[in-house]
Amino acid sequence: MAAPWWRQCRRWGTNFPSGNVFDSVWCFSGRPACASASSLSRRTSSWSSAPGPEGKPLLALARHPKTLNINSFLIRHKSRLLYPTQQWCCCRMTHSDAKPKDPFMLAQRDLTSLYDDIKKELFVSKEELKNLCDYYFDGKGKAIRPMIVVLMARALNIHSNRSGDLLPGQRVVAMISEMIHTASLVHDDVIDGSDKRRGKRTINEVWGERKAILAGDFILSAATIALARIGNTTVVKVLSQVIEDLVRGEFMQLGSKENENERFKHYLEKTFKKTASLIANSCKAVSILVNSDPEVHEIAYQYGRNVGIAFQLVDDVLDFTSGANQLGKPSAADLKLGLATGPVLFACQQFPELHAMIMRRFSSKGDVDRAWQYVLQSDGVQQTSFLAQRYCQEAIRQVSRLRPSPERDALIALTEMVLTRDK
Amino acid sequence: MFPATWSRLSRLASSSRGRRTLSLFSSSGSSNWSKVVSDAEKIVGYPTSFMSLRCLLSDELSNVAMHVRKLVGTQHPLLNTARGFVYDSKNNLQMRGLVVLLLSKAAGPSSAAIDLHPQDMVSGIYPSQRNLAEITELIHTAFLVHRGIVNLKEWTLSDGSLKDMQFGNKMAVLSGDFLLANACTGLAQLNNTKVVEMISSAIGDLVQGIYYENNNNEENALAGGVDVASWEEQAFLSHGALLAKSCQAAMELVKHDKEAQRLAYKYGKHLSLGHKLNSDLQPFVKSSAGEPESFSLSSAPVLFHRQIVGPERWQQQLQQATTLRNQLDYSQLLAVVKSEKGVSSAVDLCCYHSNRALEAIQAFPSSEARAALENIASAITKF
Repeated sequence: MAAPWWRQCRRWGTNFPSGNVFDSVWCFSGRPACASASSLSRRTSSWSSAPGPEGKPLLALARHPKTLNINSFLIRHKSRLLYPTQQWCCCRMTHSDAKPKDPFMLAQRDLTSLYDDIKKELFVSKEELKNLCDYYFDGKGKAIRPMIVVLMARALNIHSNRSGDLLPGQRVVAMISEMIHTASLVHDDVIDGSDKRRGKRTINEVWGERKAILAGDFILSAATIALARIGNTTVVKVLSQVIEDLVRGEFMQLGSKENENERFKHYLEKTFKKTASLIANSCKAVSILVNSDPEVHEIAYQYGRNVGIAFQLVDDVLDFTSGANQLGKPSAADLKLGLATGPVLFACQQFPELHAMIMRRFSSKGDVDRAWQYVLQSDGVQQTSFLAQRYCQEAIRQVSRLRPSPERDALIALTEMVLTRDK
Repeated sequence: MFPATWSRLSRLASSSRGRRTLSLFSSSGSSNWSKVVSDAEKIVGYPTSFMSLRCLLSDELSNVAMHVRKLVGTQHPLLNTARGFVYDSKNNLQMRGLVVLLLSKAAGPSSAAIDLHPQDMVSGIYPSQRNLAEITELIHTAFLVHRGIVNLKEWTLSDGSLKDMQFGNKMAVLSGDFLLANACTGLAQLNNTKVVEMISSAIGDLVQGIYYENNNNEENALAGGVDVASWEEQAFLSHGALLAKSCQAAMELVKHDKEAQRLAYKYGKHLSLGHKLNSDLQPFVKSSAGEPESFSLSSAPVLFHRQIVGPERWQQQLQQATTLRNQLDYSQLLAVVKSEKGVSSAVDLCCYHSNRALEAIQAFPSSEARAALENIASAITKF
């Protein structure tokens, strides 16, 4: 291995928004950007076996990834998964000044009619097609995207000297974010040949592939009709970019890169397109509707982008750490699909044997099991979690530039939930 | 869609606008179909290669092209759709774009829009209208691709490897989505949310139409079948809505008034329906003595026939045409349908739609673009 991973990480991070972020995240030379960032670093310190002054452990982890006590991490990690509420309390305490509420509770008042509103948009006369389209809007999803969007919208409204109340267009953007997400899930399940999602049989499993594709297309068309009715051409452009990113991200998953650095860059770019673009651009869209300042749009966009990437990184970690059914899909699903995600890419630096398997997309017999073993023996999981934390810290730094409000603080608290979620 | 036989059948002729023949095999049309199209293409400026090069040359689609080679030798429908992009022998893929451009030109320069200048026009068409024509083609092609998705559970091993089919599906989903996504970003660039709404709703119509189509072919066709009214509704969704709404959008885009939009919509709608009737009629009007081919039991002539003879007699006729191996003898069934008035009723309806399309276009000022649109509307009644 030529360079320590943290140095490579800097290179991978070239598309990271600001050059200083890394240094500040890295060394904590100044005061941490906000209280929650320091809480993160405190938690990270337990990952390292060597005690040190506040802030230093991050550096130690970065410089000597192999000295890490893996067992203690795994135990720690598992315990986090077991007691998410405990983490939540600790996060609450760090924001004693603003009394942040549970983001779910805060967003709830704007989301009560979300699924009913979506079903109204999906207007079809044919009953069976209607059932297909409504299938995933059963109120059992996490609706994390609409939640981020409404919290961001309220935070931005207050930042722009208005009352927090949502503008009609902002409410529609929240709805559209869930519709676009769902449409892409329906198509992804056909592409991946999945038979289960959220503990339910997939549409393609129940009704066949032809109808599943049409249902996805219909949800998308309903979303773009709603989008057009907002009547803002910039918002239309911002959200149609998402649709293009989603497809391009899916195409990026078809290929693997030979070169390791390129491979990681490819992975992060794919992650942005497939997951973060939707959150980033939905946040940007609600900012455009209330504020004309491009700098504010950028804050909203960067928050969404960083949270979105962190969200997916955690998802990729959970694919290795969470037991079957917790995510509503079998674990190691990505490996089985031939996809090398963060944990594998990190593991490959310690176990070059993985390289060949990545290139053949884990297609030889026993590849999936062997790769799984390598990943668990390596520190790929914690390095990916660590990377997710850094994206969350950047998200916090960005959103902290907004005027204080309960919704802003909920967005900060939400990054913590992204990191500690177990499903 | 516009079969090559047209050129054979309708070669005689002198142009006779407004005087359309109703008889089946006469060919007193203006000229053959391909001449109608190639003349029309000259009017709109550059050749109708709407399937944007941007898309065809993209990394994504070259990737698909590379993968699709693996499907050669399998039965995945994507293979045929992809061939169509290249040969385009039978299907005129770019008809819709051409009509949008001709209508744009026939409607002339905008009087209402301040930000549009006549000098921006190329061959009498605004750049935004050209983009719209391209988007219309992208959407149409995306659904040709998505129509070719295979239901894996219905696939038996004797049909070929399941893995090939899964792979073909994956490519078909991705490339269709890619074309649709490009259509979406292209639409957004038009800076007109009304147009975005119109075209998005056309996509929704198209999905519903194709959904109906699938259902009919599978379940209803043999049992009950739909009646003529719902045939028309369904044909509009699957074959008319996109063109009708694109024609309307071409007017809205440069702020032509509501009346121009209504007429453009009407032209697009009736042209598509006439066009669909024409292609449904093909198996019944061909004079070639070659192999009798199969035809859809939900095609217009069969539906008319069913309505004329009544469902009971139709069931009898179906049974009589069923062979011992429980397969339909299509040549026998063809003769049965031809013996009644179903075919001529469908021809009448085709002429009706052709006339309505011609009516709509009369309100536009006389021009070579309008004449081309008239020729196209007349050509759909020639068999």
